Amino acid sequence: MPANVNSRMIELAHVGRSFRRADGATVNAIDDVSFVIPEGQFVCFVGASGCGKSTLLQMLAGLLEPSQGDVVVGDKAVTGPGPDRGVVFQKDSVFPWMRVIDNVEYGLKCRGAPAAERREIARTYLRHVGLPRVERAWPRELSGGMLKRVAIATVFANGGRVLMLDEPFGALDYVTRRQLQDVLLNLWNADGVGTRRTVIFVTHDVDEALSLADRVMVFRAGVKVDDIPVAVARPRTTDSLLLPEMVEIKRTLLRHLGLDHQVGVDEAAP
Amino acid sequence: MSDAETGTVDSDDAIGAEAGSRRARKAARSAVGARVAIRRFVAAVDPLRFAGVALFVLVWQGLAALLSPIRLPPPLAVMKRLATDFLDAPSLSYYGVANPNLYANLLYTAENVVLAVVIGAVIGVLAGLTSARFRLVRAAIDPVMMTAGTVPILVAAPFLLIWFGVGRLSAVCLVIFYVTVILYLFARRAANNINPIYEEFARTLGATERQIVFDLLTPATVPEILGGLRIALAGAWGLEAVSELLGSQEGVGKVLEVLAGATDSEGIIANLLLLGLVAVIFDAVAGSAIARLTGWNAGLRSEWN
Repeated sequence: MPANVNSRMIELAHVGRSFRRADGATVNAIDDVSFVIPEGQFVCFVGASGCGKSTLLQMLAGLLEPSQGDVVVGDKAVTGPGPDRGVVFQKDSVFPWMRVIDNVEYGLKCRGAPAAERREIARTYLRHVGLPRVERAWPRELSGGMLKRVAIATVFANGGRVLMLDEPFGALDYVTRRQLQDVLLNLWNADGVGTRRTVIFVTHDVDEALSLADRVMVFRAGVKVDDIPVAVARPRTTDSLLLPEMVEIKRTLLRHLGLDHQVGVDEAAP
Repeated sequence: MSDAETGTVDSDDAIGAEAGSRRARKAARSAVGARVAIRRFVAAVDPLRFAGVALFVLVWQGLAALLSPIRLPPPLAVMKRLATDFLDAPSLSYYGVANPNLYANLLYTAENVVLAVVIGAVIGVLAGLTSARFRLVRAAIDPVMMTAGTVPILVAAPFLLIWFGVGRLSAVCLVIFYVTVILYLFARRAANNINPIYEEFARTLGATERQIVFDLLTPATVPEILGGLRIALAGAWGLEAVSELLGSQEGVGKVLEVLAGATDSEGIIANLLLLGLVAVIFDAVAGSAIARLTGWNAGLRSEWN
């Protein structure tokens, strides 16, 4: 790892988050989670829905305060949302009242970047996500997949060193999903080793996690139950998923999700 | 199409051809523009609407033939009366109307409506937006506005007459009151309807509170607020006319009161037609302004056009 790379880009120490239910009972959405993510790593959070992975992401984004523990990103304690941490939400968040190009450059505009400069940056990223011709379009004129591309371009253009994506492609069809995975990986790769951004990608799709991630963290009922490195070389293809080490990781992940019987692993469910 | 036309012009030297083709392209563009304008006009002036107007006039004519002119004057007589009274109606001066013609009184009413709608809209929108955003403000304003919204506005008229006397101020205040309540409700609802994901996204992009108010809250609520403004505008015409009936020296309402006293049916209908026509024109202008301002919102666009 190059010397200028922060080996503790994201650090969580004993983080917990509880909610009070309507009947007065307290529910622990996240319970005593700790991990360290070095700069430039592509990490997937995997777990069944309701396991707390989105809650964790919201705390990292600064949209939700932890009940216990510390969240530190880039050596600073997280106290609220900020442009150092970009978020691509599950639902469409592109502003419908701004044209596509104005959406992409909005974050830069907020921080007073000169008009010509931010337009240039926005155009570059729209090209990278494969949307060079829609900069003057209104968001309502775009498809769901195109809106996700705009959101990705917006977050990359904004320049945050940490990017978080909360089940971004969950609502898309298979083909669009595969295309967008490539768009995301290409953007991440384009920065080159040593200057890559740190990515946290929340998904419940095991194959998606295995195609994208350097490392997969598994959550169940608010607890981190496993942390698996995925050391398979990039670029990965559909065939990469058939490599013995990949199949082994996939078995482990499916076992964590309670789906082991469906792939014929004759171990008792945990 | 423009390519074909430029092709016929390209014959002289390069520079001439260049200028010529530019001219041809411009001409072609304006020809297209004119055609589009004509098509838009035809689309806007729905022949079926004309059929409705024609049917209405026919029924009116038929009924007028059956009834005495005092009960229902025929359409043509009303039109003639409207044309003459618009600039000069000497009969009105006998009854103490300051300006004995229709346009000056119409102008007086229109001025009051515009003034009241502008003031009422500013107060209502600001109150509605702050109430949606700050709980303390909501606690202070909401009960008052909700109560005001359920009381028939005209009930307030006697108080306004006591406070401000008969005259312009009372009428304008009544309409301001009405517009404020309507726009408060529309603005508050519009602000509450914004999907919270937009604010979360803006904050993760680094937007400040101020930027969220100007770049997010304002544009996101504009379509609904303008919709409310249009409704308030339509109601404001009627309310202003009614408040002038209650005691005013000028305005369409005063003219109507005078004509009613003289059982001048012809004049009354002419006046009502004029008032309706102006209100429709105001509404059409407001509608096209809304369509222009909210081009991002396809649903509203089709609704207003």
